[in-house]
Amino acid sequence: MPRKKIGVEVRLGEATRDLAVKLADELKSSKEGGQPLIYEQEFRTGKVRVTVIWDLWDGIPLQNRTATILRAYETAEGREARERIALASGLTVPEAQAAGMLPYQIITALRRTDPVTFEQARQAFLDEGASALVNPQALQLRFATEEEAEACRGRLIRRFPGTDDVWIIHREMTAQDFATAADWANAEEQ
Amino acid sequence: MPRRLPARWQPESIGEFRASARQRFEDGVALAAAGHRTGAIYLWGYTAEMILKAAYFSLLGRPQAAVLTWTADILPAINAGRSMGIAWPVHGQGHNVRAWAEFLVATRAATPGTAYPHPFGLEVQARGQRIGNLWSETLRYHKNVAYLYERNQVREAVEWLLVNSAAL
Repeated sequence: MPRKKIGVEVRLGEATRDLAVKLADELKSSKEGGQPLIYEQEFRTGKVRVTVIWDLWDGIPLQNRTATILRAYETAEGREARERIALASGLTVPEAQAAGMLPYQIITALRRTDPVTFEQARQAFLDEGASALVNPQALQLRFATEEEAEACRGRLIRRFPGTDDVWIIHREMTAQDFATAADWANAEEQ
Repeated sequence: MPRRLPARWQPESIGEFRASARQRFEDGVALAAAGHRTGAIYLWGYTAEMILKAAYFSLLGRPQAAVLTWTADILPAINAGRSMGIAWPVHGQGHNVRAWAEFLVATRAATPGTAYPHPFGLEVQARGQRIGNLWSETLRYHKNVAYLYERNQVREAVEWLLVNSAAL
């Protein structure tokens, strides 16, 4: 009877080279706004959790997104940086929104008399990282925190002076908002 | 008069999850061997879910036989995961294998002395992602037949979690 031994095999996803290069460049440049949104959470243990929200992930399996993020960190910051990452997640903006991670949204209240046109506002949204994945005609400019949304609004106002009333920050309810509600807590899943 | 099956159940607990996970895995193997790929994947997904939940509550120090309930344990854990930044959609939240895997890895990474060695945590995440790509509890409502490679991917990932369950 043949006896076959199979060694320890580490099975992670396969990195997407082009995106890994792009993401490594983003890590080095650290822009003020626009996609990808890169969140790094450092724990007391020294381990790091990285979440990259980027519409370019669309169509790429989750495990390959993770591998791509790890590759990018290794390229930009070295092997040690990669090995500090305990968890790496890649999500598109719609995926992150569905998970309740981007509750703050900038919407426009544009009038004919405002000193910015619809086309200019649209381009500014795209420059700031708005998502066109769900509906290219209805861009989604979303953020995890109010501070990020305020910072973006500030940039938009500096870009188009006199448009303070055009850019409105809207916060949508998320699952966490309901987390303390008794009816929510008692809604048992099957 | 023998008691009905539901009357013979033990309350849900770490011990019950672990024992049931092994049984559901074997049930899945039997289905796969009989050519029922979708049914096999359906059971294997629950196997993974139970392994990960057992690992998380074990990490918290809950006793093996302590009763786990939706309101006192599962939902607070899910909300804790969301607070840590885990992408955890509401739909089917209790069954989200990818989110449970990531939550387990993140919780260990955040707790001194419990972080997985590199790259074990990333492997846990990868298995959760792979299962999450192919399984959800709503699979039972669909008649599609899984491809062979889909069956193999889920089996490999669930088997890995099962084999490594003591280290999770």
